[in-house]
Amino acid sequence: MASLITCPHCGVRPKEEFAIRGDASLLRPAPTASDEAWHDYVYVRANPRGRTLEHWQHVGGCRRFLVVERDTFTHEVHSVTDGAAFARENGR
Amino acid sequence: MIRDYYNRHALDEKLRGAPRPPSANHLAIGHRQAVAMALAMAGEEEAVEKLLSSTTEFAVRFSAPGEWLVVSENDTPEGLQRRLDALCSARVYIVDQSEARVLFRLSGPSTRRILAKGIGLDLHPTAFAVGTSANAFCGHIAVNLARTGEDAFELIAPRSFAESLFDDLMTMGREYDLTAAFAA
Ligand SMILES: [Zn+2]
Repeated sequence: MASLITCPHCGVRPKEEFAIRGDASLLRPAPTASDEAWHDYVYVRANPRGRTLEHWQHVGGCRRFLVVERDTFTHEVHSVTDGAAFARENGR
Repeated sequence: MIRDYYNRHALDEKLRGAPRPPSANHLAIGHRQAVAMALAMAGEEEAVEKLLSSTTEFAVRFSAPGEWLVVSENDTPEGLQRRLDALCSARVYIVDQSEARVLFRLSGPSTRRILAKGIGLDLHPTAFAVGTSANAFCGHIAVNLARTGEDAFELIAPRSFAESLFDDLMTMGREYDLTAAFAA
């Protein structure tokens, strides 16, 4: 796994300072969406080999939620964005 | 029974007894300084940062975007609160941390080697310059780390972790003859 994460607020940090909070590419369904849509959102996850988007919380530093784009096969980290900035950029 | 916790430092028991004369590498434990947490209101982050850094009455430590620790050697906790309220009126939330945090001052030629045993940050001056500060883990304890000089660092830790952190730092510094005492 990627061992160094460059937090946009704190700089280069070891992965031990972070808590991984799961897939960041999912979009929360509408409250009235079907049970199947909610079931998929809550429980169903892919286990990709390659690029993934994940929420990492920097618990040992600024405590912000970050969106980390990394490769599960090569361990390369492509980008680290603040969660709020990511949401703004992607119109969420 | 009423106890006066205000006058009892978290490390009183650890530092009881005749102090050794300080060696080259020394850990000074701060007492009687005022510490406050400043949280900028939404949208006021930049204005607050500018106001806080506009004065030399206190030291400002970065914690997170819009969040800082303010350390004052001269003010009382109430005085610091008043000073901050006057400086950034209605832009910031101030929470007094004077009794909730313990301040460790590590200095001496081996400080970087000592800290490298517990902190996963690059502490080379080009990566962590004098005046820089950030939250980090020291071992498993969350601290705010600041570089106050080429070979001088300050760690601010929660009071309830102070004894553990003290033991850890003394173990980390044992091979460098680290001594400890309350700051003068
Ligand atoms: Zn961070």
